[in-house]
Amino acid sequence: MSAEGQEKLWETKKYDDVRIYTDEEIWNYTDEDVANYKCKHDIPLLEQLEEGPWPSFVSDIKQEAVHRHKLAEQAPDKLLIPADVCDDLLGQVELSYVEKETHWKHGGIVGVFGYGGGVIGRYSDQQEKFPGIAHFHTLRVNQPASKFYKTDYLRALCDIWEYRGSGLTNMHGSTGDTVLLGTFTEQLEPMFFDLTHDLGVDLGGSGSNLRTPSCCVGKARCEFACYDTQDICYELTMYYQDELHRPAFPYKFKFKFDGCPNCCVASIARSDMSYIGTWKDDIRIDQEAVRAYVAGELKPNAGAFGNRDWGKFDIQKEVIDLCPAKCMEWDGKELKINNKECVRCMHCINVMPRALRIGTDTGCSILFGAKAPILEGAQMSTLVIPFIRVEKPYDEIKAIIERVWDWWMEEGKNRERVGELIQRKGIQEFLKVVGVPAIPQHAKEPRSNPYIFWSEGEVPGGWQRDIKEFRKRHPR
Amino acid sequence: MASIDEIKKVIVDFATNTKKSKFYFKDMEKAVQKVIPDAKSREIKKAATALINEGTLVYFSTGSSTMYGLKGRGISLETEETGKVE
Ligand code: HEM
Ligand code: HEM
Ligand code: SF4
Ligand code: SF4
Repeated sequence: MSAEGQEKLWETKKYDDVRIYTDEEIWNYTDEDVANYKCKHDIPLLEQLEEGPWPSFVSDIKQEAVHRHKLAEQAPDKLLIPADVCDDLLGQVELSYVEKETHWKHGGIVGVFGYGGGVIGRYSDQQEKFPGIAHFHTLRVNQPASKFYKTDYLRALCDIWEYRGSGLTNMHGSTGDTVLLGTFTEQLEPMFFDLTHDLGVDLGGSGSNLRTPSCCVGKARCEFACYDTQDICYELTMYYQDELHRPAFPYKFKFKFDGCPNCCVASIARSDMSYIGTWKDDIRIDQEAVRAYVAGELKPNAGAFGNRDWGKFDIQKEVIDLCPAKCMEWDGKELKINNKECVRCMHCINVMPRALRIGTDTGCSILFGAKAPILEGAQMSTLVIPFIRVEKPYDEIKAIIERVWDWWMEEGKNRERVGELIQRKGIQEFLKVVGVPAIPQHAKEPRSNPYIFWSEGEVPGGWQRDIKEFRKRHPR
Repeated sequence: MASIDEIKKVIVDFATNTKKSKFYFKDMEKAVQKVIPDAKSREIKKAATALINEGTLVYFSTGSSTMYGLKGRGISLETEETGKVE
């Protein structure tokens, strides 16, 4: 990622050390200016989008357009790409809405020197009509673990991007990184220099490489965290720099780290390798606090959903009956959990966080294969490793990662995600690759994954088959 | 064991002569292993990275997947930016 010591850069660095724009230049427009803004191109279809109940990207882009037009008058030398990039972006999107066809060219050889990812090259195929977006390359910037930012950093990032790019950002892309939308080829290297030198951050992943790993807030703020999501996310980001920047995989590969099954970064749906915190021992129960919830002294769900009167808290209806494993019991005085049956769905803990806590023998489950529809349909990750310790320096986990990558690089077809390869080759072969024995949970859904064949060595006692004896009982 | 230089040479031959000007890592890997059967994919990646750093090969990315190509063969930065193909 960044050079040594860079991770502490923002402990001392201030926005003023790198700022480009004055306060007058930043706060240079009013709501009225935005309301009166007239785009260079007619955009009636896009403007319809603004009429809906939700915030619209059209309004956001207009706001930035107004800002840039004013900047062009105040400080023209402080905009290195066209001031009307936003106007032209809106114009081209409108055209696509009319024609129902994209005018972006797909892909390119642009990037920063030595990196195969982090820059997504885009060009308009209507460059005469929309010169401001003749080039509209996107940069992906590696976000800090759990997206903890200092405002100094964010303001510096916005300044640099206003100066060298469109000023349009997406915080954050679904991969998790900071997405900077739209600049020209000649700004890519200087932008990379500024990011790494002034801001102390690196580009993230794109293309056929390890994508920018991302994690939930974890132990930084959350009592449910079963392991330190931030630490492993940072460690694996640093350890697999080559895989992140120099693509040689059949396709993309994503890690996501959730501290518990609440899955705040949706690792189960959005990563090829999902790390989901879990525990082995019992849910800790504070019976007194349970009674306090029942008596109405504590607010269920820590007061969330409190904007409506749901009536008196009913532990039977709201907790016991909703337990998917049906392993809880309340006799009016004491709560009992049959932990052997508990599937760690988190429901009871979320409803009564003061009374119930995760166990103390913690680690994570590892699932593989989530993806959006590309070659095959969308799928969620499949449980492969029910429990593993998550402890520095994560050697056991790194060994699993490398076994999976080796197999996928060897067997995978071009543009085949690891989840699709598992489907094609079968979970059984994959279990051998990872080195875990099959368990009933691996075959939980017989229709998507019906067969596990056991070899003789895998069955205690093995078996012997005497074909002559067999034929005596079963003649041809 | 094949040396990095040998692998580099095979890659350049492949990149120069293959029908398509852009190819996936996998295609390059297969081409190398045809000539040097014991070349490991890690070594091939190292050789490819060296060729990228020397400016002999370039990456081509759609944003979701990545390919390799010989610099100057087929698509170049100029043709890409103007849309005019040689
Ligand atoms: C120039 C036209 C554009 C094209 C062809 C394009 C294409 C892409 C591609 C290929 C990806 C990456 C998918 C992957 O991870 O494999 C992506 C991601 C994304 N794009 Fe665009 N994009 C364009 C412009 C925009 C614009 C104008 C916006 C918003 C105003 C936008 C927002 C996003 C977001 C939010 C993501 C998700 C990022 C992530 O998942 O990390 N893109 N786009
Ligand atoms: C020795 C006895 C049996 C053998 C060897 C046998 C074998 C099979 C095989 C090979 C299939 C196709 C599986 C697939 O590819 O999806 C099948 C499907 C089926 N079998 Fe059997 N079977 C046996 C007994 C039975 C019995 C006793 C019943 C019902 C009482 C039964 C009901 C079915 C049904 C309903 C299907 C279709 C399932 C589906 O595709 O949804 N089978 N059987
Ligand atoms: S996934 Fe679990 S541990 Fe992580 S922030 Fe969400 S609730 Fe907390
Ligand atoms: S975590 Fe879920 S499955 Fe386990 S006891 Fe609570 S509600 Fe039941």
